[in-house]
Amino acid sequence: MSELETVAAAELSGGKAGSADPAARPRSLAGDAWRDLRRNPIFWISLVLVLAVTAMAAFPGLFTSNDPHDCTLARQHAGPGGGAPFGYDFQGCDIYARAVFGARASLLVGAFSALLTGIIAITVGMLAGYFGRWVDAALSRVIDVVLGIPLLLAAIVMLKRISSDSPNIRIIAVIFVLAILGWTTAARVIRSSVISAKQQDYVAAARMLGAGNGRTMWRHILPNSLAPVIVVLTIALGSFIAAEATLSFLGIGLKAPTISWGIDIDAGRTHMRESAVALVVPSTFLALTVLAFIMLGDAIRDAFDPKLR
Amino acid sequence: MQVRRLAAWTALPLAATLGLAACGGGGDSGESDPNATVSIQIAEPQHLISTNTNDSSGNQVLSALFAPLVDYDEQNKPFEVAAESVNSTDNLTWTIKLKDGYTFHNGEKVTSDSYLNAWNYGAYGPNGQGNSYFFEKIAGFDDLQSKDPDGDGPQKAPEPKAQTLTGLKKVDDLTFTVTLAKPYSEFKTILGYTAFYPLPEAAFSAPGVIKDGYEDAPIGNGPFKMKGTWQHDAKVEVERYDAFPGDKPKIAGAEFRIYQQLTAAYADVLSDNLDVDVTVPTENLSTAATDLGDRFQQSQNSSFQFVAFPTFQKEFSKPDVRKAISMAIDRDEITKSIFKESQISARSFVSPVVAGYRDDTCGEACEFNPTKAKELYQAAGGPAELKITYNGDGGHKDWVDATCNQLKTNLGVDCVGAAEPKFSDLLTKVEGKQPVGLIRMGWLMDYPSMENYLGPLYTTNGSSNYYGYSNPDFDRLVQEGTTAATPDEAVKKYQQAEDILATEMPVIPLRFGQNVYAHSTRVKNVEVDLFQVVDMTKIEVVS
Repeated sequence: MSELETVAAAELSGGKAGSADPAARPRSLAGDAWRDLRRNPIFWISLVLVLAVTAMAAFPGLFTSNDPHDCTLARQHAGPGGGAPFGYDFQGCDIYARAVFGARASLLVGAFSALLTGIIAITVGMLAGYFGRWVDAALSRVIDVVLGIPLLLAAIVMLKRISSDSPNIRIIAVIFVLAILGWTTAARVIRSSVISAKQQDYVAAARMLGAGNGRTMWRHILPNSLAPVIVVLTIALGSFIAAEATLSFLGIGLKAPTISWGIDIDAGRTHMRESAVALVVPSTFLALTVLAFIMLGDAIRDAFDPKLR
Repeated sequence: MQVRRLAAWTALPLAATLGLAACGGGGDSGESDPNATVSIQIAEPQHLISTNTNDSSGNQVLSALFAPLVDYDEQNKPFEVAAESVNSTDNLTWTIKLKDGYTFHNGEKVTSDSYLNAWNYGAYGPNGQGNSYFFEKIAGFDDLQSKDPDGDGPQKAPEPKAQTLTGLKKVDDLTFTVTLAKPYSEFKTILGYTAFYPLPEAAFSAPGVIKDGYEDAPIGNGPFKMKGTWQHDAKVEVERYDAFPGDKPKIAGAEFRIYQQLTAAYADVLSDNLDVDVTVPTENLSTAATDLGDRFQQSQNSSFQFVAFPTFQKEFSKPDVRKAISMAIDRDEITKSIFKESQISARSFVSPVVAGYRDDTCGEACEFNPTKAKELYQAAGGPAELKITYNGDGGHKDWVDATCNQLKTNLGVDCVGAAEPKFSDLLTKVEGKQPVGLIRMGWLMDYPSMENYLGPLYTTNGSSNYYGYSNPDFDRLVQEGTTAATPDEAVKKYQQAEDILATEMPVIPLRFGQNVYAHSTRVKNVEVDLFQVVDMTKIEVVS
């Protein structure tokens, strides 16, 4: 943490660069992290995967020219051909096209759940960490309570109440349910880094210069406690994608006509013995995506955590 | 999925241990071992009281414990079993003579009273028996019903006017008469249904009150008696009743093993831990023939699968829209690719198993013709989005999705299959007049008659007419059929009624089902009848 303080303090006082490396540009935490990351192959692999899946979600047409909704029984379990590199599933749909189009729902749910999680976590964690005392006590108990609710079980209970079959409403419902249940870890991380940032000299300095609570939190503490949250949220994004697939697999998350890996895995599972490809392809897409986000988060965390350096 | 998996994992070790226990005998001499027992897959029965049992698992258990008044031969004509004769001169008053020598498993003699008490109990409204509508035809039924004045409110329904049906009269210990409210030529046929089994004195704690615990160990007049009690969610065991005067079974007993998951039962029959798997799950159909060889069998049953149009959705009100949707469905492709020929494409409204069935009664409307279908659909202004609502627990997803895909391709519309957890959830939505789109329906007959396919499903206020179809001409023809003097005349009226359905298409016939069952290497002569029930007197154990 020492680097962070000095840099921040130096910026705040408008003084010269920190003492660690007097010769070059001031070395920031991010700069150090980037230097580490550049040499980490896991970082590059996961980054490429994440970018690929993001491109798939945004422009599925770049990856396949087949319509994932074009299914006919005449092609049931047919082999590769006609622009379908992995062949066709039980209903005669292009397995690959469906896997490509499935990326959109997964990433939408993952990204927006993570975003919403971040907003809730930062608000709660910041208030608890900054004000301390009874505010902290109350909010921490709330975190404990929410943490005690099993994510999957609660998600099943809540989503059962949503009877609408409209694809948009279901996606929004899944996003909200995952965010409402998944923000606690991030909030704890924020809270602890706010507590440690709050005691730094530059905070005291800002206070002395007359900064109010809002300005201190927003301008001084938040930027310095954001890094660990971003890491936690990247990892959470991966697990939200997995949770979405689980719920869709169980038939209570997203529903047809939305294309989701979870739905396709469920459909592939029942006909596993006739053709395993329809099960393996969406499973692989799902596994790689989740793994990519979790590895990316891990790599960034390792780079940012000075204790591991 | 977690829940379902859990069930499978608990069922497997349980089934394995039970299977081991059952694998006692097995010498090498002779052909069949009369001292061995068999195990048969069922689901948890809803009830084991004859007047309240209408699921095939409950029927399976009761068919072992009871002997019916009549049973059905190969042509589905009724013949007497526990009855000596069932006669009527005017189709209004029926005289039923019982065979002497039948006793209940507790030694009690089967008399006319055994039947009269049971039927009065089943018909009495406040008892809430699931099969009470079978007694509707008997005179005096209305006096046994009462309506709750404020629905579910605090007021109680008044006592019905009468406790017993006026139409039931005892003549002597082995003879009684049944007077119907209206003449009905096929009354003898419906007597084969579970609802018409007798009940012993021992079943009642007071007149008209069933004893607590009777349902857990029913006492019947059939070839098998209970061994122990009904172990809920685990098994029901029965053993041969030696004083049974009718056809003797060729096994010493049977264990009806309760499975929560069809695939678990299939796995057990593969490994010889279960003797008869009555329903091979759809997902195993494509591999079952290779897995089991000639131990995988099919036989005719009476089931009929169709989709219905709720009348409250105005976009389906034109017959041409319904006809176009029907013509856009390639039934043969679905029976081939999804059901691997285990079901048969339906182009009529009644099953081929009943007298009066005709091929292709719905004519052009059930022929696959995508070009004509699209023209017709657009001319009639059918909706641009279709939905097929189905119950998610019955293995319907595959064919519903495939049907939707065909409608998408052939009509150029959007189509989704929407799963409701259970059929009752689907009905709740239909009753709430929510836009459910097409609804999946299935029908398994109660007794072999065309009337059973027409009356409950399409007459105004029919017991299973959930979609609200109503046509006075149709009602009249069915009514004329039930009161016709002879079965042949009745069939003619029913066929005219069916022709009305073909022009109006209130539902789309899709498929007739078959039993697809499997048995272990231990047993032979396994037969599953039209009601999806294993014939307990024919099954044998190879020794």
